[in-house]
Amino acid sequence: MSARPYLWVIGGSAGSFTPLRQALLQVPYDPELTLVLCLHRLRQARFQITDAFLRLRRWHLSEPDDKTPIQGGAIYIAPADYHLLIEKEGYFSLSVEEPVHFSRPSIDVTMFSLIQAGWPRAGGILLSGANKDGAHGLFMMYQAGYFTAVQDPADAEVPHMPNAAIALFTPHQVFPISTLPHLLAQKPIPS
Amino acid sequence: MIEDVLPDIAESDLEAFFQITHTIYGYDFRDYARASVLRRLGTILKKYGLPDVKALNQRLLKQKEFFETFLSEFTIGTTELFRDPSAWVALRKQALPLFLSTSQIRIWHAGTSTGEEVLSLAILLTEMGLYPRAQIFATDIDQKALQTAPKARYPLRYKRTYQENFQQVLPDVPFSRYAYEEGNELVFDPQLLRNVRFLRHNLVSDEPFSRFEMILCRNVLIYFTPELQDRVIRKFIQALVPGGILMIGTKESLFWCKEAEKKLASVNNLERIYRRQG
Ligand SMILES: C[S@@+](CC[C@H](N)C(=O)[O-])C[C@H]1O[C@@H](n2cnc3c(N)ncnc32)[C@H](O)[C@@H]1O
Repeated sequence: MSARPYLWVIGGSAGSFTPLRQALLQVPYDPELTLVLCLHRLRQARFQITDAFLRLRRWHLSEPDDKTPIQGGAIYIAPADYHLLIEKEGYFSLSVEEPVHFSRPSIDVTMFSLIQAGWPRAGGILLSGANKDGAHGLFMMYQAGYFTAVQDPADAEVPHMPNAAIALFTPHQVFPISTLPHLLAQKPIPS
Repeated sequence: MIEDVLPDIAESDLEAFFQITHTIYGYDFRDYARASVLRRLGTILKKYGLPDVKALNQRLLKQKEFFETFLSEFTIGTTELFRDPSAWVALRKQALPLFLSTSQIRIWHAGTSTGEEVLSLAILLTEMGLYPRAQIFATDIDQKALQTAPKARYPLRYKRTYQENFQQVLPDVPFSRYAYEEGNELVFDPQLLRNVRFLRHNLVSDEPFSRFEMILCRNVLIYFTPELQDRVIRKFIQALVPGGILMIGTKESLFWCKEAEKKLASVNNLERIYRRQG
């Protein structure tokens, strides 16, 4: 397997979807970078999100199947009603085990799996959201030495998720949503 | 509210765990996808107040009767009646009609869990008049689930989802034809299980026990490594009669199995329904 790409895990729920989409349209294609989006959404909304992102040109965009190899230059969206796990062999696994914080996919689950897989170069980002899923996961990423960033609760449509993270620790960066494209274009480096 | 856990699991303890479950109990979990194994172990440690996997290993060594409980916690039994309705619609419209003139329809449902998918299948077969010719073998490694399944009774709180799924697959059929409420349970017509046998069977170590016109195995392969997926899918292909149908989970793929490329043709690629050629 070739070198592991740089990887951002991005979590969000209510209020994150539109700004994230806008930001992604401005992120220049980078074959060494991978974005993993873990967004809470309705069950059985199978194709909606990928459809909404179709305008992205060069990025390879998909809802990964189980055991899809994790490649650079790709944006992966966690499929509805499955947890998305990162395996150290360099592919995803899916799981239907119980929801975490009422969420499946759960951001915590994806972030924990990344840590346990020992993914070499990665960072975590939490956006606007209505519950505290992801806060603990991001904190654990911080403790494991990964770069962490949280949307400024002041400009999050629903500040609960960023606030929950900030209540646990001081992330490396608290950013206004307008700077998200800039953040995503950078390769995450260990703190 | 379920809180998540990130256990710190020593590689040597994990190795010992694989040894014990394999050599003492006969279950080889080495080729289960690692991320999920670690999650399950973390959950079990928390639930039973065990400090680490070493302590779990001790318990498994000393308390033989704990194993079935452990196994039931370790496996992930999440299931629904007609989970992924569009997949069942595809099965009904594109696959089951292939058997309209088949005299005997042997079906293997592997990873049946608590049986909701067997009921889904039995309902479709009944609606299409195929049930009397069907013989269904429903298998799993989780003994507790296998004890629940034959009762065809579920907590009433599942009714809403089950009925919604049912109505999406069979919009013209009343749900009450097959299920009714009794106390705080949702009860299915026992007639649906008259041609069903529940058996314990391990996809990792046991061979297929017959040949089949159809095999359904959904959301089980996701817990396996690509290598184990390949081995299991080969077994399925071998066990299918020519023209037989294989259905896997909507987000599972045959990507890692070369044999599948040669032997299986797609019936509905999106819904992951395939047919054995020749
Ligand atoms: C998530 S459930 C799937 C239930 C159902 N097929 C569905 O998709 O709704 C996975 C099931 O696979 C079973 N399983 C796991 N490993 C197995 C093995 N080696 N052999 C047979 N069944 C296995 C588990 O016990 C569990 O009941």
